[in-house]
Amino acid sequence: MATRTITEGISVARRRRFSETYIGEWLMTTDHKKLGIMYIVTAFFFFLVGGVDALLIRTQLAVPNGKVLTPEIYDQIFTMHGTTMIFLFVMPMLTGFGNYVVPLMIGARDMAFPRMNAFGFWVVLFGGLFLTSSFLFGAAPNAGWFSYAPLTELNTGCGTSGVVVCTPGLNMDFWALGILMLGISSIASALNFVVTILRLRAPGMTVNRMPLFTWMTLITNFLLLFAIPSVTAASILLLLDRHLGTHFFQAGFGGDPLLWQHLFWSFGHPEVYILILPAFGMISEILPVFSRKPIFGYTFIAWSGVAIGFLSFTVWAHHMFAVGLPLVAQAFFATSTTLIAIPTAVKIFNWVATVTGGKISFRPAMLFALGFVAMFLIGGLNGAALAVVPFDYQVTDTYFVVSHLHYVLFGGTVFGVFAGIYYWFPKMTGKLLNDRLGQLQFWLMLIGVNLTFFPMHILGILGMPRRIYTYPGNLGWNELNLLATIGAFIIAAAILVFLWNFVITLRSGQPSGTDPWDAFTLEWDTDSPPKPYNFPVIPIVRSRRPFYDKKNPEIADWKTATH
Amino acid sequence: MVALYQRTVLEKSKTVTEEQEQRKQPSNQRKISKEAMEYAIDPKRSYWPFALAIALFITLLGVIVHPVIFWIGVALIAAAIIGWGLERR
Repeated sequence: MATRTITEGISVARRRRFSETYIGEWLMTTDHKKLGIMYIVTAFFFFLVGGVDALLIRTQLAVPNGKVLTPEIYDQIFTMHGTTMIFLFVMPMLTGFGNYVVPLMIGARDMAFPRMNAFGFWVVLFGGLFLTSSFLFGAAPNAGWFSYAPLTELNTGCGTSGVVVCTPGLNMDFWALGILMLGISSIASALNFVVTILRLRAPGMTVNRMPLFTWMTLITNFLLLFAIPSVTAASILLLLDRHLGTHFFQAGFGGDPLLWQHLFWSFGHPEVYILILPAFGMISEILPVFSRKPIFGYTFIAWSGVAIGFLSFTVWAHHMFAVGLPLVAQAFFATSTTLIAIPTAVKIFNWVATVTGGKISFRPAMLFALGFVAMFLIGGLNGAALAVVPFDYQVTDTYFVVSHLHYVLFGGTVFGVFAGIYYWFPKMTGKLLNDRLGQLQFWLMLIGVNLTFFPMHILGILGMPRRIYTYPGNLGWNELNLLATIGAFIIAAAILVFLWNFVITLRSGQPSGTDPWDAFTLEWDTDSPPKPYNFPVIPIVRSRRPFYDKKNPEIADWKTATH
Repeated sequence: MVALYQRTVLEKSKTVTEEQEQRKQPSNQRKISKEAMEYAIDPKRSYWPFALAIALFITLLGVIVHPVIFWIGVALIAAAIIGWGLERR
């Protein structure tokens, strides 16, 4: 008794350690949930930065002969828009969701390597600040998010004779070093996810019972492990060329300009699936819950993800049809690109079958998930058109390609991300985002996305090149460009609605309880927000819907289903 | 009769009650109070991931700005790796 009193006395007298302060707690945390939130908040910050870049681009292109930006600044803005959205928004955002949700979904108490998890986050943050700080030096990257060499060489090799200045200054050094840094983070987090999912699943959770978001996260992180080294190698070679006198990409000195494109796109195309597969997983969780049905064709959805993963490494040169590839290579890459549409279509059919005949509840998460299916379908179809080599010749490097990639990455991934935010926000905060504002945001975004990106199909077919600074007024592009700009500002309004919703919900949102959606998976079988240890008792899994089983023991899946 | 007997045995073997399932749980998964769990499984905090990331940032900034900053960054990376390795968990 005396000892206890003394101990209490000491603990009262002791000064709080830095790690126990609010800032110290977040700075030193290795908790996957806190890191997940930090990833998501950081990614959203960079989404706003990349969004402002997009608005500047669209303002410049709203009318012919625009003079809002100088050509030099415009180059920097569109390069940083792509780089920011891909490396600093979508990738960290999906990693954030994975971090928060996957350990809960599989019944684990944390990620396998908590400190490496924290390291991955801090590297993303500092890598992002490093890239963005290039604006302060007046030297933001300016050669597109793909940074084609030899254009990005320092001072030789991009002309036909003599010493020609290519990309002097620090611009491309910021890009190459920033990408190196972000690659380190991606490898660290990918290793962590793979080990966590393979080794830390709850008893009874076989791979055949894993939630589909976990499946897609696993595939995505395998893709990262195999794709990132390619762009890392390319960045190092570029830095060597720029500063140590090597000539890897300079034809005049025995190098090969196409080497960059092969290295970059052998990362860049798996990257597209790295950016979309987790969103596939998210809506595969959301559609069944809001249709009150189990997912249709679980096995097909899971294994079509694996097929997409493998095939994604065989399609990269469809970005290079116009460089003069041999015919046999063109035929191969056109075929593989068409093939990858099959597992993708399998998923779409399964999602449609899941909602068909269900008791659908049109909450914002469901609206965004349905919007995802529709928008991604358009992005998939115009992508399949680009696999046709003669058509690709006609529209390569035009706004048709811009339209395609934005239907996939904005109409697809961003809709998926917002579906995920509306679905898991109550888990993270214990509060429900406002439904009406969510619906308003959805409709504004749906209109905005189509108004912005659909006219770009026509602009591309009319021959408007992508990355163009401005255009004369007599080419028939004026009205379509103006429409696209109006659409971009409607999207911006939708994001403002979301921010308003976010703020008022945090201040005075309706409490959600632990299971607001009557959900099926384990992350809902604990407090909202969960305690640091996630589960007081590690759950036993007997089917693909363990929480549904627990709530409905008399009709539990494990009593009736065979998996 | 044989068919009836076989069917009954088969159905019995298929019917697994909740209680039987509970009994199958390993002993280390018995209920522990939430407070005890929170104390035991609170994720351990660490400075080193943050320190290593900032050291990496300084190193890369040094590549851009000045070699002295680069070498300071390298030294900090080494220190952070050593600190990480020696940290007691």
